[in-house]
Order: sequence, then C-alpha cells, then structure tokens
Amino acid sequence: MRELELYFGPQHLGMVGNFSITLKVEGDQILEAHANPGWLHRGFEKLMEYRTWIQNFPLVCRINVIEPDSMEMVYAMAVEKLAKIEVPERANYIRAIVLELSRLASHLFGCWAYANMLGFDTVAQWAMYHRDLILDLFEQLTGARVYHIYICPGGVRRDLPEGFKEKALNTLHTIGGCIPDYDATFFNNRLFYERAKGIGKITREEAKELGVTGQILRATGINFDIRKVEPYAVYDKVDFEIPTREDGDAYSRVWIIRDEMIQSVHTIMQCLEKIPEGEVYKRVPNPFKWNIPKGETYVRVESSRGELGLYMVSNGKDKPYRVHFRTPSYPHGLLVLEKLLKNASIADVGNIMISLYVTAPEIDR
Amino acid sequence: MNKLKKELKSSFKGIRTGILEDNRLAVSAPKDAVLPILSFLKNKGYEHLSLISCVDWIEEKELELVYVITSYLQKNDEYADNERLHILLKTRISRENPEFKTLVPIFKNAEPYERELHELFGINFEGNKRLTPLLLERAYKIPPFRKDFNTREYVKEKFDKISFVEEKKNERA
Repeated sequence: MRELELYFGPQHLGMVGNFSITLKVEGDQILEAHANPGWLHRGFEKLMEYRTWIQNFPLVCRINVIEPDSMEMVYAMAVEKLAKIEVPERANYIRAIVLELSRLASHLFGCWAYANMLGFDTVAQWAMYHRDLILDLFEQLTGARVYHIYICPGGVRRDLPEGFKEKALNTLHTIGGCIPDYDATFFNNRLFYERAKGIGKITREEAKELGVTGQILRATGINFDIRKVEPYAVYDKVDFEIPTREDGDAYSRVWIIRDEMIQSVHTIMQCLEKIPEGEVYKRVPNPFKWNIPKGETYVRVESSRGELGLYMVSNGKDKPYRVHFRTPSYPHGLLVLEKLLKNASIADVGNIMISLYVTAPEIDR
Repeated sequence: MNKLKKELKSSFKGIRTGILEDNRLAVSAPKDAVLPILSFLKNKGYEHLSLISCVDWIEEKELELVYVITSYLQKNDEYADNERLHILLKTRISRENPEFKTLVPIFKNAEPYERELHELFGINFEGNKRLTPLLLERAYKIPPFRKDFNTREYVKEKFDKISFVEEKKNERA
C-alpha cells in the first residue's frame, strides 16, 4: 500500500487545542508521528523578563488555560522562596482549597474531552455542567471564572467570602452524588472498556526513561506524587490517597482521573473543616520598588497533569532575570505521544492524545 | 545528602558545590565533567531529568546551562528523608561559540529540551540528530531568548513598517 502523509490538526475535528501532528500512514496504520507544537507560542518567559515580579501574574496564569491556579501557585512559591517570605497558615489552607478545586475543574474538563471523543455526549455534558458549578465557586471567591490571579506572593488576594463554605460543600455534595451516575453510564460501560483497554500502552521503564510524571506514570504503578514527596501548601496536614493502576493504558489513565476527583473532593472537605482563623496575606514591599535578592531556585508542584516546575533566577533587580517553566505536557505531548502513536491506527489518535491529557498552551508557553 | 556531596567531590575534579537549602544542591562543573556527572547521578538513582534550562549572562559573555535532576522516589521509599534532593548542575559555555555535547544517550527526554535551547539560545548540541525548529515560525538573526534580543525594538522595527489598511486605501485614492 502507498505511504501517505496526513496532517492531524490544528484545524481538525478530533484535535483539542492548538496543536498538530504530522502522521505518516500506510492504510490506516501509523508508521511515524511527528508532534508539531508552536501554534500558540507567545514567548511568555521572555516577556516576563521585561515586567516586575507582580506584573507577571496576569501572564503566568495564561500559560495553562484549563488549570491556571497551579501556575500561579508555582510562581508565587518561587518568588516567596527567593524573597524569603513566610505565608500565613490560613492562606495555605485557602491555597490548597483553590488548587484542589481547579484540579477538579480540570479533570472534569478532561472527562468532557475524553467522553466527547468516544461519543458519550451525555456524560460529556454532565462533566461540563459540573465544571461550571466549580467556576461559579471561583467567581464568588475571586471575581473571575477562568483566570483568577488570586494566589499572590505572601498569601492570597482576599479572604473567603461569607457563605462560601456552605456553597462549596453544597457543590461538592452535588458532584460527589453524581459519581454513581458517571460510573453507570461511562466508567463501567462495556463500550469504554472495549475502546480504551490496551490502547496507548506504556511500560514502567519506558515511562521513567521519557521523564513522564502525573497520571501517565501512576497508571504504570509508580506511586509518585509531589504532594506526598515534597508537600507544599497544607498537603502534609490532610489525609488523601494517591490512586495508582498497573496497566499503563488509556483505560487506567482515565480511571485514575476519576479516582483523583474523588480524592480532591475529600481533600477540599477536610481543608474547609480544618481551616484556622487568621490573616490571609502577609504584606510584601511596594511592588513597584520591590527588589528581590540575588539567587536561583527550582520549585515544583503537582498540577492536574504531572510535575509542574519553575526555574527562576534573580539578579537583585525588580524584574526576574530568567524564568523557565517545566510543564508536564512538554514530555507527554512530544516524546510520549510520538512513541505511542507509532503502529497505532488512525482511529486511535484522538483516544491516545486525549488520554495523555496534553494541553497545547503548556508546551508552547 | 552530605554523603552525596562528598562522593561528588571525591570522584570529579574541579567542581564546586553550593550550600544546601531546602534539599536543593547547586553544583557547578567544568564543561567536560557534566556528562560523566549526569551518568554517575543516574546510576545513583537520580533518574528523572526534570528540566534543561539556559541563562544568558551577557556581561560575562557566557551562557549557563542548567540541568535539574531529581529522583522518582515514592512515599515510603527506601531513600532516607534527607536524600530527597534536587540537583541543579550548572556549567558555562562561551556565548560566541555555543557548542555542547548532547545528553540524549543518557536521558532520552533531553531531546525536546535541547531542541528548544537550540532554537531560542542558538546552542548547538553535538550529536542530537533532531535539532529542527520546534516553536518558532521563522529564523531570527539573534536567537530570541538571548538578552541582546530586545522584543520591543524588534516589534517596532518589524511592524511599524507595515502600514494600516486604511492608510493603504488612502494611498490608492
């Protein structure tokens, strides 16, 4: 059969986000795949060198559209580490609540994308609806639905509004109460099993070799989570589990997303229960005259996709000298995707790509 | 962690280690010691290459390559608590002639990072077979992430020459 070159994306119905893959196919078998990022490269890391420490916040959250809060968190952590600022206890709890809420929102978005791709439109609509409920919470808490610019060096921008706890618990109960419905229609559905089992399989050794983190690594049986290894915010004070699976295929990855959502709901409930009284913001110097001492740091958090790191260098001025984000989608979307697509069939491209949970803006930055 | 520091110092000559802070160890090494150190660390269990970054120290006319190495340790692992480390391995190369050896034979996931640094800083990684464009649309005279590339001046130079649509219409009339 003849070899053909097939362009998958950026203008393709099966493509999520601004991303493209060039496939070399024979029949419907893929011989070779080349990931082709760069459609959304905005050069944020360069732009940040021209802006003060605080001015960078509106840029930082835009790196990952779906889960902006962990980006803000990692940036705030780096600035705090360089400037040696301690964060009040209550602010740490609020940060954990916001991070888990955004993980939940991001996972629901992932469920939407995956279910939609498989043709489970009803489940997709449910997931989108539940994500919207969380965005309502964010609107009440921060004033914005998508980009919150809420976590800042020294704490969070403002305290929990009145009635937030009740509303949050109400929302979490609504979402938690629908899990049996999700299970019955989607996760325990034979069609999902048939379509995802054994697809996009990666072994433990291959995953380690390619620098994989997050669900993809945990789906191969490695219990690696930065919230446990290097606890930040208050993750050492709340009780939660890290779901793992052994098979390393799309089926296990999507199941891990489901299990993590349940853990997130529990974590948020514990944080709302334990949260102490006190201030939420420690005053930082005047942001326009704020010079941070010379130094460098690498901090990392567990975003909804894996290890999110930030390497930051300060040369003692009011602007960062160098900022470099280590985003989880970077190895997943380039190396792992190319590896898994080899010898797969064209019908499985969307299946593999969405189960890897790749976000294009994170790769391009 | 002090153990590792001593081991590194005794096995490799000419390296300097920084102060350990929050389990973060900065190591500066001469150019030719970098790859042996990385493979030594990989055999020690530090098998997760998190990031390869580059800093342009324009006043010293040098580019600094930074390798961030951590381990895939898990909770309740046999590693002691004090061995949970990030290692920032740094080396400096000349700015005029930026050449370095590739890390791909040791860490496979170095490939896209090196591609990115090749594109944004103009560093040539000898032995990396895939230094093709990754993110950018066109080639620039100065690699755009270097400090002497001023984005604001570039925008002025590039886009001020393009006239607005209305102006063009007026010209025609």
